[in-house]
Amino acid sequence: MHSILAVDDSASMRQMVSFTLKSAGYAVTEAVDGQDAWEKAGGKHFDLVLTDQNMPLLDGIGLTRKLRGHPQFKNTPILILTTESSDQMKQAGRAAGATGWLVKPFDPAKLIEVIRKVIR
Amino acid sequence: MLNPHAAEARDAPAMPLLAAADLQDNLMTATHDLDRLQTLLAQACDELMQGFHGAAEQIQELVEAAQESPSNELFDGVMRHLGGAITALQFQDMASQLIAHTNQRLRNCADQLARDAFGPDADGEAVVAAAPLRPNPVTQDEMDAGSVELF
Repeated sequence: MHSILAVDDSASMRQMVSFTLKSAGYAVTEAVDGQDAWEKAGGKHFDLVLTDQNMPLLDGIGLTRKLRGHPQFKNTPILILTTESSDQMKQAGRAAGATGWLVKPFDPAKLIEVIRKVIR
Repeated sequence: MLNPHAAEARDAPAMPLLAAADLQDNLMTATHDLDRLQTLLAQACDELMQGFHGAAEQIQELVEAAQESPSNELFDGVMRHLGGAITALQFQDMASQLIAHTNQRLRNCADQLARDAFGPDADGEAVVAAAPLRPNPVTQDEMDAGSVELF
């Protein structure tokens, strides 16, 4: 079973993301912000990280940058799921090492399709 | 030392000061209303989520308990409706960010107005809440699913 680290400071978003991923057969670990995700990522294997952008303590792009600096997450797909849709932010995400940029609200079927595509 | 804001406030005509007080009052009322709206939305979303999870669990149980497999058409229809609900239920996250941003902007306006119109009070210079550093992150004006871009 593939495991996914789902990061969002909104409780309702975490519930929606977890429900969608678990329904599709993935094991999900939730984190409430980038800092929490960074702590939970330590020493554990995840097949994918799905993170929000705007969060307290550490945002999605900051988290991506930190994860990419760690050998364990060098090749792990990282998707940023956010309300932000500006090209400037997308380019910042890309430069940090994100695999893709998804704008909220997400469609569950489309999200699963994208995840299956990027998890190899 | 005399505060320039205080001097301006003393020299200002009475009517603009009253108008400023009225405007500041209205801005503060709006921010308090937005705070209440945040609370109401969070509570409503909690209840919607509970209802959603309850319904999803029962659908799953019904599917598992069925003597015969449900028709693909029926099951697909149920899953499509659940998917639509998941997309729509994300409104609270987006609305919450919009409200927080607008609230911060209004508080900044109200505080600036108070400082500039009335000058310092007995506690000294008025504290002005910081304005949002960036434009509003939520630019969507509908609840259709957003774009996907793989790099």
